Formats: sequence, structure tokens, C-alpha cells
Amino acid sequence: MPWSLYLALKQLFPAGKRFPFFTAISMAGVMLGVALLIVSISVMGGFGREIRRMIVETQGDLQVRAGTYLVNVEAVAEVIAGTPGVTGVSPFAEGVVMLQHNNLPAFPALQGIDVERINDVIPLNRYIRAGTLANLDDDSIILSSRLAYALGARVGSYVEVYSPLLLEKIKADEIMLPRELEVVGVMEIGHQSLDSSVVLVTLRRMQELYGLGEGVHGFSVKLAAGADPDAVARALNQRLPAVAPRTYARSWMDSNEDFLFVVQLEKNMIFFLLIFIIVVAAFSVTSSLLIAVVRKTREIGLLGAMGGRTRDIALCFCWQALIIGVTGTAAGVGLGQLVLHNRNHIIATFTKLTGSEEALVRFYEFSNLPAHLSSQDFWLIVGLAITISTLAGLLPAWRAARLEPVEALRSE
Amino acid sequence: MSDAVLTAVGITKSFLSGERTLTVLRGVDLTVKSGESVSIRGESGSGKSTLLHLLAGLDSCDAGTLHWAGSPRTNAARRSAFLGMVFQSFYLMPELNGLDNVLMAARMRGRVGRRERDRAQDLLQRVGLAERADHIPAKLSGGERQRVAVARALMNQPQLLLADEPTGNLDEKTGDTVIELLLALSRETGTALVLVTHNLAHAVKTDRQFEMHEGVLSPVAGR
Repeated sequence: MPWSLYLALKQLFPAGKRFPFFTAISMAGVMLGVALLIVSISVMGGFGREIRRMIVETQGDLQVRAGTYLVNVEAVAEVIAGTPGVTGVSPFAEGVVMLQHNNLPAFPALQGIDVERINDVIPLNRYIRAGTLANLDDDSIILSSRLAYALGARVGSYVEVYSPLLLEKIKADEIMLPRELEVVGVMEIGHQSLDSSVVLVTLRRMQELYGLGEGVHGFSVKLAAGADPDAVARALNQRLPAVAPRTYARSWMDSNEDFLFVVQLEKNMIFFLLIFIIVVAAFSVTSSLLIAVVRKTREIGLLGAMGGRTRDIALCFCWQALIIGVTGTAAGVGLGQLVLHNRNHIIATFTKLTGSEEALVRFYEFSNLPAHLSSQDFWLIVGLAITISTLAGLLPAWRAARLEPVEALRSE
Repeated sequence: MSDAVLTAVGITKSFLSGERTLTVLRGVDLTVKSGESVSIRGESGSGKSTLLHLLAGLDSCDAGTLHWAGSPRTNAARRSAFLGMVFQSFYLMPELNGLDNVLMAARMRGRVGRRERDRAQDLLQRVGLAERADHIPAKLSGGERQRVAVARALMNQPQLLLADEPTGNLDEKTGDTVIELLLALSRETGTALVLVTHNLAHAVKTDRQFEMHEGVLSPVAGR
């Protein structure tokens, strides 16, 4: 071991002292900065991942949409299913309707799904909280949980559905009655806006409500694990014009580009702002090492008198900053993981104390705080924290290296 | 002159004090042979410590030449192997115990193995501190600290030992013990010793004595 490293370790963790105060304070700064970054970036990453999962699980890996609607459904479905990487295809039709129950109106997005094929693409069964998807037929409907709650509807209730086509017919003086559909299921995705605004009916019922005949608005497509959604979308866009002009495939990333950009931007901004905590901690490392240089002036002079080279004396302080950075970062990672592990207990306690449990669900749209730290983010945090902390040792190292042994030995 | 460990010829050193130039050393000549002990006495401010720093290669002279064992190379890389220093204020590393302080000298030369550990233990035994090797300096008395410093100075088997008022912070009895120890180890190991001291009783115990007065070094006649 080089003597500069040996002495750095001894100066940080001196023999006979149980609690190296200066070292602990410097490390605590780095530790808190790293822990805060780990927690914040993990939570942001968790939100991002939840949002991505939700998009994929409710829309499929990619969607094929027609300019208006498609009538040659099976021919297009065959082309899509024959494209490499595609494992499932399910047609859909969608539109806004007015829903009424107990004289309470709502205007949800109605999704017409192919009951036989939907589970090939979207794991709907996973989100059914009451009733069952198997019971969905042309005279029934599945409501999202918050919508059902708002309307006071439950499995077995009947709701009235008014479509835009119905209103058109009323304008033409035709007498049309709303469709009365039985609630056979309540689903909960875990996202407040989706759980407040989505209802499912069979594709046939939706086609009838919107007067589409045999037509559909598009297809949800499931891809094989590891398939690149953008590449498959490009392949589909080359094949589709032959069977369905003005029909385009877009990956889930492409379809939600703006939203995903905002999510990424928020995460980057939080990273940028929180990294300053580590910069501040680094100043504390600089400050405590500068104090050490002043306190140990004569010892630094002695090292010179004993034949220590200037660069080794400087290195001794760089090592100290690096050790503080590495140990502080390691402790910060540990603390961050501990907080993340207990995040839901911490949030539950906090919201209980502040009475903000409802607000958490309402505004943040998740019932549990998600967390996900990608290995890229992890190594970026660790690398930056150690680099910044090590750079903090340069000024003290430079000061120590500039000390002339003779002057240092004379100092009192 | 072939066995001269230290040869200083015409050493002159001045410092700027405001607009005034203060000449501290005026053409100092000094030759110390292997195994020889030399003392330098003089009043405070006479230039003794400045001369010692120059002899140690810690500072550069304005005029004159300095040779270590016939070589003009007096840089840091050679210093750790060639000479050991003992100071009035001990200058032990407070974070290290006695043994590690002694071993630090070897560590700075990149050599710490079984042999070096044995030698450090042996040196501590010779200075009477074998039982206190694992004590940090704060738990040692002044005399014990200086004995650790002497062991450290001898760790790398230097050819020259420079001692700058090593008894200045010690009581008379402890000071006498340290000087006896320095002289005995110097003779035993064949290490040349340059001792800067105020104490006449200590100075007369060396082979040759010099006096420093207003930057001029003169031999003391009589012994």
C-alpha cells in the first residue's frame, strides 16, 4: 500500500479514536446527498416505469390506427399477425359516450373490445376487481372502479348509454332509447385518470353504438419479449398500405412521445437540482480537509523532511477525499435503499399525520409509491458522487503540496 | 575526505526582512565523518536551525556547496535513505501508534515487510519502549515521544542523523537520557550525528563541538 494511502486511512480513522468526528460529518454530507438522489430518482423512475407499464398494458406494445375506420378487419389482422415479432392482435373501436346511473351522468371513453382476443394483447383479467371478463356480452358493460364509485354502480347494476349516433338520430326526429347495459365487472388499473374514465363493452356493441357496421378504429398489437416496437411499427407501415391505405402503426413510445418526454425531463431536472446537494457536501469535504491541512501543517512539513515527495503529500489528501466519497456514497446507497424499502410505510405514516392520504391518490394517481432505479441511473449517481467528492480534495491537496517543509516545520 | 558523510563549504544564506536583507549564515564550512558526532551551540537566532535545514536539503543556500557522502544530490528522494532527523517538538503522527510512527520512515521508502517490522520492534526495544509500541503519542510522555522519534530517525539506517535541539521540550533528567541514547545509538550504528543544542553539558559529550555566532560557525578549542 502506498504510504499516502496508508496515512490517508490513518488520518481519517485514527487509532484509539472510536468516532472520527470530522470524517463522519464529511461522509454524512455525501451520504445524505446520495441517499436523496437515489430515493428521488428511484421514485421518478418508478413513476416513469408505472406509466410505461400502464400504457403498454392498456394499449398494447403498438397500435395500428386507421384514418377513419377499417372494414376489412380480418385481412388487416392477418397482415399484422404475420409480421415478425407480433404475438397477438386484437381489434378495437372507441369513442366517448354519455353514461347515466341513478340520474348521475358521466362521459367516459368507451372501448369496444374483442372478448375472444383481448387477453392475447392486454392482460385485462389482471385488473378486474369485481365480476369477470368472461361475463361480458353485448348487453353488458365493465366499469372502471372510480367511475363505478362515482355513479354508485356495482356488479348487477344497470347503466344507460347514450352515443353520439343516438343524438344524431334524435336531431332527425327519430325516437331512440338509450342502451341499458348490465354491469358485469369493475376494473381497477391503478391510475386515477384511467380508473375514472374508461368503460368496456364488446366490439359488436360499440360498432352498433357508433354505427360502424363491421368496422373498427384500429388494432392493439402485442409483441414478443425483446422485440423493438419501433422496428415492428416500421415493418408494419411498409406492409399495411397494400391492404389498408391511410392506416399507420405507431409504437407506444411514439404514440406517447410528448408525455414520455415530459416524464424524462422531470426526472432530469430533479437529478440536476439534487446533484447540487452533493456539490454542497463536497464543499464540506473541502472545508474539513483544509482545516486538516492547517492543523497538520507541521506534520506535512515532517513528511517533506522525511523525504516525502510533493506529489505523494498531495495524493494523501486526494485519497482522503476519495475515501470520504466512496464510503459516503456507499452509506448513501444503503440509506437510500433502506428508505425505498420502507417508502410505503413512511408515506403512510406521513399522510396519516398530515391527513393527506386521499390527496396522494388523487394527485399522484398511484395507490403505492412506485420505485425503480435503473442500473444506468445507479452508476451515474455513484460515479458523479465519487468524482465530485474526489475533486473536493484537490484544493486541500494543492495547499498541502505548496507547503515548504522548512516553513511548515517552523509554524506554531 | 573519502569517509566524509557531510561536506558543507562556504554556505551562505540570507532572508529578506521587509526591505532589509538579513544574512543568517556567512560562509559556513563543516565536514562530518562517518560515525562522528558533532555539536553546534549558539544563542537563539544565531542560525543553528537554518544551518540544520540547509544540511538536510530542506532549504537551498545562496552560495556554497553541500555534498552528502560526496554527492551533490540532496533531494527528497535521497533524503529518506540518507538521513534521519530529530526535532525539538518530536513531530510524531498523532494518528499512529509508536510502532507505526517508527515504521512510517520505512513505509515512505515503500518497504514494509517482516524485516522492517522486526527492525522497528528492535529499535523500540533499544530506546526502552518495546512495551509501549502500541501506544499513540498522546498516551506517551515527552521523553517517550522523543525516544520514538529517535527510533524513527534511525529506522532506515541513515548515514547521517540531524538533531535540532532534541531536549528543548524535556526536563533535564529526561533530556540527559535522550542525549545518551542518541550518542550511544550513533556510535553503535556508525551513524554520523549533528546535534544542535543550547546545553553545554550535552554538547561536550560529542566528538567535536562548534559554536555559531551571528552566522559564523567556529570550532570550540580545548577538548
